[in-house]
Amino acid sequence: MPVYRTVPNPLSPEAELELREQLKRCSPETLESVLHYRKTGDPDGVSQVVIGIIERFLDPEVRPRLRAGGDGLRIFDDLGIDSLTMVEVVMLVEDVLQIKINNDELRDLRTIGDVKTYIDCRVKGLPLPERPVHVHVAEILAIMPQQPPFLFVQEATLRSNEARGVYKIAGDESFLEGHFKGNPVLPGSIMLEALGQLAVLFLLKTKRPELTAPVSPAKIFFTSCDGVRCQRICRPGDILTLTIKPKRIKHPLGMFEGHITCGTEKVAFAEEICLTFDYLAPGEVVGGNGQHASNGEQGRSSGEQGAGSRESKPASIATDVPVANRILPK
Amino acid sequence: MPKVVVTGLGFICPIGNDQATVVNSLRGQRHGLTAYSRFEGPNIPVRVAGLVKDFETESPDPEDWKYPAQYKIKRETLRGFAPHVLFGYCALTQAIADAKLKPEDVSNLDTGMFTASAGSAMMLHHNLSRMEKHGVMKCSPLGIVASVVGTLSYNLVAAFKILGSSCGFASACASSGHALGFAWEEVASGRQKRMLVVGGEDGNLETILPFAGMRALSLNPDPNTASRPFDVARDGFVGAGGACAMVLETDEEAFKRGAPVYCEMPGWGMASDGYNVAISHPDGSGLIQAMRVALRRSGLEPGEVDYINAHATSTPIGDTSELRALKAVFGTNHIDTPAISSTKALTGHGLSLASILEAGFCAAAIKHGFMPGSAHIQNLDPEAAGLDIIRETVNERPHVVMSNSSGFGGANVALVFKSAT
Repeated sequence: MPVYRTVPNPLSPEAELELREQLKRCSPETLESVLHYRKTGDPDGVSQVVIGIIERFLDPEVRPRLRAGGDGLRIFDDLGIDSLTMVEVVMLVEDVLQIKINNDELRDLRTIGDVKTYIDCRVKGLPLPERPVHVHVAEILAIMPQQPPFLFVQEATLRSNEARGVYKIAGDESFLEGHFKGNPVLPGSIMLEALGQLAVLFLLKTKRPELTAPVSPAKIFFTSCDGVRCQRICRPGDILTLTIKPKRIKHPLGMFEGHITCGTEKVAFAEEICLTFDYLAPGEVVGGNGQHASNGEQGRSSGEQGAGSRESKPASIATDVPVANRILPK
Repeated sequence: MPKVVVTGLGFICPIGNDQATVVNSLRGQRHGLTAYSRFEGPNIPVRVAGLVKDFETESPDPEDWKYPAQYKIKRETLRGFAPHVLFGYCALTQAIADAKLKPEDVSNLDTGMFTASAGSAMMLHHNLSRMEKHGVMKCSPLGIVASVVGTLSYNLVAAFKILGSSCGFASACASSGHALGFAWEEVASGRQKRMLVVGGEDGNLETILPFAGMRALSLNPDPNTASRPFDVARDGFVGAGGACAMVLETDEEAFKRGAPVYCEMPGWGMASDGYNVAISHPDGSGLIQAMRVALRRSGLEPGEVDYINAHATSTPIGDTSELRALKAVFGTNHIDTPAISSTKALTGHGLSLASILEAGFCAAAIKHGFMPGSAHIQNLDPEAAGLDIIRETVNERPHVVMSNSSGFGGANVALVFKSAT
């Protein structure tokens, strides 16, 4: 991991004039923060500079969202910043902060929090944060023992100590017909299930030091949960951001904390979700399209533990488009 | 074969930024030419240009531009624009409203868009200069789409969410004639039910001044006489900018929507001189052929044409060859020949914009019932003898109209419009 150290060049009057011109469409506070940083090298206000520069590229009606939203705000989905606008943001940041941002590092910046952390590390000369792994719907379908219509993670970003996932409530989920009559509301049990599924993905996909072998997708089950609170009613069209963090992982148990947000609003919180897991047995064959998908009996999801074994299909493979379509956001 | 009709027009041009103003300027022969401040310099022999009013687009940064408040354009849309794309966006917005098209009438598989533009010399120059000075990684990520020849197409097709056919045409001063002609083919053949056609030109120093090097521009500093097609003393064209948009659709589709119909477009023709890269054939051979093909495809005889909007740009050579071509097709019996004028006396020459702008004038002339006179002629070129060059506006509705355009390489286009009733 390269360590960057940024020392701003002394600011000449000409350079200051150019800075003012470059930042003429940013807020006065942003300009002041840049001048402060360039004159003193004090990095404390720098993440606010970046937010100010992002704000300058947003449509006026989207700007309040940036100001209200937390670090979890997604640059593309929540703010509508496409990759070309991101290049404009980066060019201006590079110019005014005198740093260089690489294309491949740029691709990892998905949320406002990612951007703040990245810039902070760069100007303070700290090591860059771990690069997250992005898992898309096709891979989720290939990896997970849960499958549609009982899969509630549509994309995910994994780090060694955190997983984030997205579930968009499409509105055609069968359980919404009866929950409730003429009044579709996402069940709290499904929220808990979604967090459990994200934890399953974490166990299957993350290489944690506590895991001494690959985890078998057929051997992960729900055991318990504690301190679950639901805070917001969620309906079709809502896009839920799922987050889990491992609290303790020691074979055969994994304990996680989890929470769900919708935009900037809190949806649900679980102090502890506990899963039991086992490793792939020597010689155990994994079906589907490769090493991950399960064969034979599928692991049951957290919500249906004790529901008895049922006949289950082998996991869908990544190219199974019709299945993929069923859980893609509509 | 379905009939193709014109149902919408939009104008951003030197003689007006809306149809009513444009029609008043044409009727009253009020020109839109002015002294251009960027032409003030010891090394610039040219003074006059046809500039678009109420727009400020001199900066290469679209966020610096000023334009009428009625047009609401998001930054993410505007950032890839060149000046003429902004003009085109506004003209197309007018044409869509004029044709009473709803967003779903514009964005569907049966509706396409053809455009004509030569790209933006200003944006290209700015971006390449920046690349040389600061390096390529300091250039705007939208620099290419704002600069190169397809810029009008890329931007408007995306901004208006076009799902049908789309393409940009680049054949210099015949470009937007080709765009209209091929849009006609698209609708007449049944491939599309509706086509939006847009032509545009920045019309700034970078676009116009290079023509001085080929001695094609008028050096006359008086805006009132610099552009005078068919006058013996004409000394070159006056460059202009702007945009024009036209909606073509099947008569069935127009009827179904209850859309107002300007006129029918019964056909068009094109042919080439095969002669010189920049000089028109002395006898107008390609233009003669283009006009004959247009009449044949429209099922019309030369004697049925009431009015011709000539290409005539006010250059000594070009106007002469067009006059010869007109005489070859329509004869020299002044009484039976169509009324002829060049509206470039009022607008200047809009290059890639010219053909559709004049086609728009023709459609408006049929609807509003007039034939615009050829302004600024003091001494008619004797070459015009036998032709009916109208110097004043005639307040009669022409029923069959032809609009000519000729471009570099000797590309010629003739478009035909006729009243729908």
